[in-house]
Amino acid sequence: MNVLTVTGLRKRFGSVVAVDGVSFSVGAGEVVGLLGPNGAGKTTTLHMVFGLTTPDSGTVEMFGHDMAHERSRALARANFAASYLHLPHMLRVGEILTVYAQLYALRRPAARVAEMLELLELGPLRRQPFSRLSSGQQTRVLLAKALLNDPGLLVLDEPTANLDPDIADRIRGLLVEQAATSGRAMLITSHNMREVERMCHRVHFVSGGRIVATGSADELAGAYGVDDLEAVFLAVARGGVPT
Amino acid sequence: MTIAYDVTSGAARRSRVVGIVRRDFYALRGNGGRLLEIFFWPVLELVIWGFVSVFLRANNVPIAVSMLLGAVLLWQVVGRAQGELAAMFLHDVWSRNLLNVFVSPTSLAEFLTGHVIFGAGLIALSTGVMSGLALLLYGFGITTIGPALVPYLTLLVVMGWGLGVVSIAVVIRFGESTQSVAWVLSAAFQPFAAVFYPVGVLPPVAQAIAHAVPASYVFEGLRGVLDGRGIDWSGVAMAALLDLILVAGALAFIAHALRHARRTGRLSKFGE
Repeated sequence: MNVLTVTGLRKRFGSVVAVDGVSFSVGAGEVVGLLGPNGAGKTTTLHMVFGLTTPDSGTVEMFGHDMAHERSRALARANFAASYLHLPHMLRVGEILTVYAQLYALRRPAARVAEMLELLELGPLRRQPFSRLSSGQQTRVLLAKALLNDPGLLVLDEPTANLDPDIADRIRGLLVEQAATSGRAMLITSHNMREVERMCHRVHFVSGGRIVATGSADELAGAYGVDDLEAVFLAVARGGVPT
Repeated sequence: MTIAYDVTSGAARRSRVVGIVRRDFYALRGNGGRLLEIFFWPVLELVIWGFVSVFLRANNVPIAVSMLLGAVLLWQVVGRAQGELAAMFLHDVWSRNLLNVFVSPTSLAEFLTGHVIFGAGLIALSTGVMSGLALLLYGFGITTIGPALVPYLTLLVVMGWGLGVVSIAVVIRFGESTQSVAWVLSAAFQPFAAVFYPVGVLPPVAQAIAHAVPASYVFEGLRGVLDGRGIDWSGVAMAALLDLILVAGALAFIAHALRHARRTGRLSKFGE
């Protein structure tokens, strides 16, 4: 069963076609990567998935709910984190999570916040204002926020951008473990091909607003006659086609 | 049992509104400068106008201290209601948190309701502090206004909230570069609100504008009450009607602004 079905999404900003007929789906428990060069239309696609940007045409269905008409129902079961988003700077870590626990209408907000603080090893930071945290700590808080409602679909836009390799690896490990144990579906964009190889069951390459290649990392490498996903990325970015 | 309430249930809606109120409370508590600001400007204005009125009275200028101080006390309510609503929204913009709120199940109505509830608490607090100061420094008790205080305060708060929604809508519709509107919008209405002088002293064009401003009926009424003429209920009704039109227009504008921001991709820019 699909938790997310995107059909024929198209978006034009002035004379620029940012997304041009993108269709894909994410099944329950599946981890899907959306890859492509800068300006390929990945973030615009994710923002249309969440209703932040209205598509010119096409539909988004999340957990069987049409995002155009049943947005709240769908959003209650999903969550989103992005490296370019922050959280209220003045608020302390524990306060931020408590606020979001209430925005997601959790039945036992305090208990769930405590669980997230423990899972993301944020306990010692719970009284620290968000503005005083390092990039790695801020990313952990953003992920704690994104996991609060135990989402059936977690969408991450470049989750480990700006992190050092050690912290990025820990976060990847946590996300892989979470996906495996909870059966959570994930949709991820990243410029780190090793990260995508490690995490994603299936990958869609986006270029010029279109999906130009789909498959597992191995299938794509085979199709392009290269060794790994990084080489596929370079081939796609330079206009290459499957051999 | 899922870990969350059904998204459309009353419990879920209450939880989301309380979440916004809680966020505003934490944000204020974490920002001592803003807490100071909430009281600084209104108190400064109260002190200045208080001394002006004392000076005028000492020089036998026929003016009632109560009229000036009552006007100062009541006008700050409009500025506070509008400014705080806009400031709470802008804090989410500045901290790049706005998109996190918009990808949660929180609706625009719940978002605004939470901010309005918290803003009401702040207005009560600042009005209470200023009233105490006015009594202490100049012997003017706000209760001098009598029962009229309730409708007058309500009308001014609602006008402030209407303008607050308009200022948020302007930023959503036209982008962050227009955020200065949030700081000047209520002040722009002050000349037409007849706060310190009657509408009659304004030139004809300004009078026409003043007649469309709810606050002008409140301050004309306030002077009447302090002059012992009783409450002008027709003025109260007119102000209520204008408030209703303002709030309805503001809500329509913000709904349009949000649709436009989603269509043009401007909403996503608040994450950059």
